[in-house]
Amino acid sequence: MPRLIDTATVIRSKNAGPLTLSLDLMFPTEEAFALAAASPSLTAERLAALYGVSPRDVVVTPYPAAYAIKVALPRPVVAGSPGDRDVYGAQQHAPLLAIDL
Amino acid sequence: MSAVASLLQRRPASLRVLSASGQLGYGIPDKALAQGVERRPDFIGCDMGSVDPGPAYLGSGEMATSPTITRRDLALVLRAARALNVPLMLGSAGTAGAAPHLDATLNMIRSIAKEEGLHFRLASIRADMHVERVASALRAGQLAALGGHLPVTEADLHSCEHLVGQMGCEPFQRALDLEPDVIVAGRACDTAIFAAIPQRLGFDMANVMHMAKIVECTSICCEPGGRDAMLATLGAGAFELESMNPARRATPLSVAAHSLYEQADPVSFTEPDGTLRVDNARYEALDGRRTRVSGATWEPARRRTIKVEGSALVGQRAVLLAATADPRFILALRDLLRDVETTTRALVPGKYDIFPRLYGLDGVVAWPDAGAPPPREVFVLVEVIAPDQGLALAAAKTFKQFLLHQGFPRRLCTGGNLAFPFTPPELAAGPAYRFAVYHVMPVDEHETLFPVHLENV
Repeated sequence: MPRLIDTATVIRSKNAGPLTLSLDLMFPTEEAFALAAASPSLTAERLAALYGVSPRDVVVTPYPAAYAIKVALPRPVVAGSPGDRDVYGAQQHAPLLAIDL
Repeated sequence: MSAVASLLQRRPASLRVLSASGQLGYGIPDKALAQGVERRPDFIGCDMGSVDPGPAYLGSGEMATSPTITRRDLALVLRAARALNVPLMLGSAGTAGAAPHLDATLNMIRSIAKEEGLHFRLASIRADMHVERVASALRAGQLAALGGHLPVTEADLHSCEHLVGQMGCEPFQRALDLEPDVIVAGRACDTAIFAAIPQRLGFDMANVMHMAKIVECTSICCEPGGRDAMLATLGAGAFELESMNPARRATPLSVAAHSLYEQADPVSFTEPDGTLRVDNARYEALDGRRTRVSGATWEPARRRTIKVEGSALVGQRAVLLAATADPRFILALRDLLRDVETTTRALVPGKYDIFPRLYGLDGVVAWPDAGAPPPREVFVLVEVIAPDQGLALAAAKTFKQFLLHQGFPRRLCTGGNLAFPFTPPELAAGPAYRFAVYHVMPVDEHETLFPVHLENV
């Protein structure tokens, strides 16, 4: 089974404002993008389980123009509030690295 | 004739927009800026702010950037714009764009002008929101959290050290009416800095907003990305992008991919003045390092909205920095932290919060599973937030000493459980803040909310 880490060229996270975490998966070719876009491992349900949030709060948007998939979900702690672990949200991609497509 | 008056009179059919900085104050790369100036841009824009660095700057009134480097960058762009006699547009002054940030930025500009003998018309736009205005929106049910969850009460609004509204293009249009040379805005949309002038000149708003959305980050839209100045050339039905560093290539893929950056939705962007959609945008290579973009759409807002940001003080922070290389202590660490917290709370009375972070285990990510085998070393950061600095430090000091000497079954390291990198290992970190407001609010009275002031420097 192809692994996400071997298929994608970029796997990154960043805040989209202090309340939202955004995850970007970018692929080198149309074929790689299509494979990922159709993968049962990248549904809102599976990603919600990975990040411990409700599936209703996870939005997955394929973006063919850039061979990319965007995921948006609420941050468990508002950026920079007491108890936050990652103010910029730039290291929250790590749970994605173990995904098999 | 002022730079704005002269540009509005010239009405160029093709507009060259130079984005000098995506966040002014960290050091604008000189060489690319000089390259951009040689291309004789019609105006220069710089963003100065962001919510990325967290609530501390809006809360404290301080800039995230150093005063020395901020002044250096301001001097660079002021000199460039005055030498060309073109408008200079700055937004989100001083990181967070509240009154202290805007005032500090304006003072730096006045001081640079005096030192360098520059004279110009300086327009400034304030973005501070009256708490009662925001409270009335809350009571009317018109305050909506932007993404995520952030419940807000009237008490939360009153607890904010600063409350700002993020302006769109309208306040910039009123500033342009005053025919200045330089416009400095408090908290503003990155796009408004770059969109206001082409909007005034009658360029198609879909292309204008799409161009503004991309150039505000300078060369981040390139391959490889970077912080060098970016030139956009806006024509009748499209715009062209080119980095002012020859090593950075704006390719159709790199530019299209930029739509993803720091956005919840890659194809639809809601701004105060309307919504930009880029799902039908076309990206065509002009050569190896320039891309032409067209085809976005723009739907003007039926009623304008602005984002309101507020930062509240939550207390004073102390931090303990320590580490361990003992495998048995690492295995017992979570339980020991709970025990030591109980001991600390019994010995140091008062109301405070303790947040331990165990780097090597889960200091960065709240992993959904137990996962990996324990690492060789773990860094222990203990954050304490209390109503006063003395109490926060007292709790951190007691926590440190008990964690150092806490016994546990099969303990080998009876000399001490922790390695301290230096002393004191517990540090006073000063005021701690939180974003208490990050909400969208419909507004009509822009003139009252975002007043414009003109002065001769």
